[in-house]
Amino acid sequence: MLERLSQRDKRAFKIGAICVVGVVAFVFGTKWIGHWAQVRRSLAEVKAKLETISVDNTKQAAVASIVPVFEMPQKEETQKFLFRNKLNEQLKKAGINSKPLQVLPAGKPTQDGYRLLRLKCNGKCRFGQLLDFLARLNENSYLVGIEEMRVKCDPKNRQEVELDLTVSTFVK
Amino acid sequence: MRSDVANTVKPALSGSAVAIAQEDGKLKAVELRRREGGFEVLWAKSSEGDDRNLGVFAVECGLSVGPIGRTEKDGDRMVVVGFGSAGVAFYRISAPAVKEKEIEALVKLQAETRLPLPSEQVEIAWRAGRIHDNEMTVTIAAGRRERLQEFVENVRGLKPGKILLDCEGIVKAWRTFFGGNASPTDAVIVSMGVRSTQVCLAEDGQLSNAAVLDTGVDDLSGEEPGAEQTETTEGFVQDMRSVLELFGYAEPDELPVFVLSSGSEAINGVVSSLVSAGLDARVAEPLSKELGVAGEIGAEELYEYRVPIGLALMRLESEAELNIFGRLYRPSGEEKKRHWLYSPKVACAVAAVMLVMLVIVSYAVDAASPGAIEKRLNTSVSDADMSLLVQRQKLIRTVATERPDLLELLDLVNSGGSKGVLLDGLQFKKGQPVSITGQADNPDMLYKFQESLLTKNGIKQVEIQNATKDPKGDKFKFTITFHYKNFTKKGTAK
Repeated sequence: MLERLSQRDKRAFKIGAICVVGVVAFVFGTKWIGHWAQVRRSLAEVKAKLETISVDNTKQAAVASIVPVFEMPQKEETQKFLFRNKLNEQLKKAGINSKPLQVLPAGKPTQDGYRLLRLKCNGKCRFGQLLDFLARLNENSYLVGIEEMRVKCDPKNRQEVELDLTVSTFVK
Repeated sequence: MRSDVANTVKPALSGSAVAIAQEDGKLKAVELRRREGGFEVLWAKSSEGDDRNLGVFAVECGLSVGPIGRTEKDGDRMVVVGFGSAGVAFYRISAPAVKEKEIEALVKLQAETRLPLPSEQVEIAWRAGRIHDNEMTVTIAAGRRERLQEFVENVRGLKPGKILLDCEGIVKAWRTFFGGNASPTDAVIVSMGVRSTQVCLAEDGQLSNAAVLDTGVDDLSGEEPGAEQTETTEGFVQDMRSVLELFGYAEPDELPVFVLSSGSEAINGVVSSLVSAGLDARVAEPLSKELGVAGEIGAEELYEYRVPIGLALMRLESEAELNIFGRLYRPSGEEKKRHWLYSPKVACAVAAVMLVMLVIVSYAVDAASPGAIEKRLNTSVSDADMSLLVQRQKLIRTVATERPDLLELLDLVNSGGSKGVLLDGLQFKKGQPVSITGQADNPDMLYKFQESLLTKNGIKQVEIQNATKDPKGDKFKFTITFHYKNFTKKGTAK
């Protein structure tokens, strides 16, 4: 039968076949591509999730040197005592005579949803004791950061310093 | 003297072969085509004695010459050019009857030991002959590459389909038109020119050795048949004996010697001399009945054009030749047969399949990955733990950015001091510049201290806020502010 067809007919058949294939490919192809795009989006979400917990080793080491220990924040009532006790312990360990620690009210919630609670302390110590205290301060697992520090030397005895320190912690 | 057998060059006809050869200082060409039961010489043409320009002669023969390639007027006729065998050496070796590739390696090795020139200066061609007791006779033709290259450049403009050895044409012509097919298949064929003679050894009807003697018909003419041999004739006979010995036949009557002739007295005289010398010499005259257009081409012309006719026959019958030009010349349009894997269509098809596979695999990987990752995570940690882990990591990173290293800051400030500068106090507050107070012996010390601080990593914008002389002493009291990393920039404090 095919032999009876003219070249023109054969060409028409070929073009027709190509068009049919094209239409089918378009109909199913667009759906398929849409599905693929959706799959890729969910993959990107999962990957982003993974990236938050799997950090590059070098970065991880750098972060660990700054934050060697960390406890997740508790409610304000619990957290402020935990933080105060730990800080007091560290001050004592360093031999710093501090006045009673003063808790400042917590501020507005940050981006992470936690509020920043500040703790203020005043005291007198030797310069060496201050250095010891600062060196061990990162071991406080409730500490977020040092907000303020004022050091003033005693003009009569330059090894003696007067210290005003404000540190912070996160609370729920 | 120009000799046109057919007065005019006829237009190209389908399935014909044009052969051009040089003989006795003349270019000779014929066009031959098949006809029912034989062949037909369409035309034959020879150049003037001194006219050796192949290009001009080819144009006269109606062939296209030049870089354009073959044109319509060439039709489908095949062109073949003959190469004089004078510069070609023949060797015959015995090799075990093995596969063609192995023979090729054997031939190369053996040829290298026999050739007088380094192998890179020589082109060789070989042809396997008869097999006897599992041993095969192989004919090797070798020619100096430089000379062959020169010849190729000379004929390239004609774009010949083949370049063949003249002596192969002689053997072919003998077999087809001089009764060779009815004669023993092993024979010596003598083709006498005006001033030289081509002696060919045919085994199984194929050329297996050849030699050229510098004595021709002109040198031997004038000798009366049966008369006492002259010095020239004796020399010729002696040369023939030597050639037969060279061919491996020490006994003179061991092999029939066919002297191609148009019936001329001179050649008859030569044959008589050879017979007298004990050789089995015979005259081989053209059998014009084998050719068509008998009225237009006679025995004499057939004899004169025996070489191009033989070459054209070889081309028409696609006979396997000793292709000594195989590596130097590849006819246009005749591409080397490549493995099907090298076909562009196959390459495109493979590329297309690979592309489709790539898309499918990419999709499959993408589709499977999220599920697989989550499954893996779920087996390691629960959802609650996972979110807690994520939260903890985020918080730790936040804390890391919130912690200024005040020990490092004190160290930097302390190391920046020098003799003559005493520090009284330091004040750090997030979002504000660090402020240090102290005393200096003189302003120079203060400036040095400022410059020293500027060199410290992490300290920027060091400013002397005030420097006043202490009314109680000689010292200058000062306050310096600077920024420490990002902690003292505005907006850092929360």
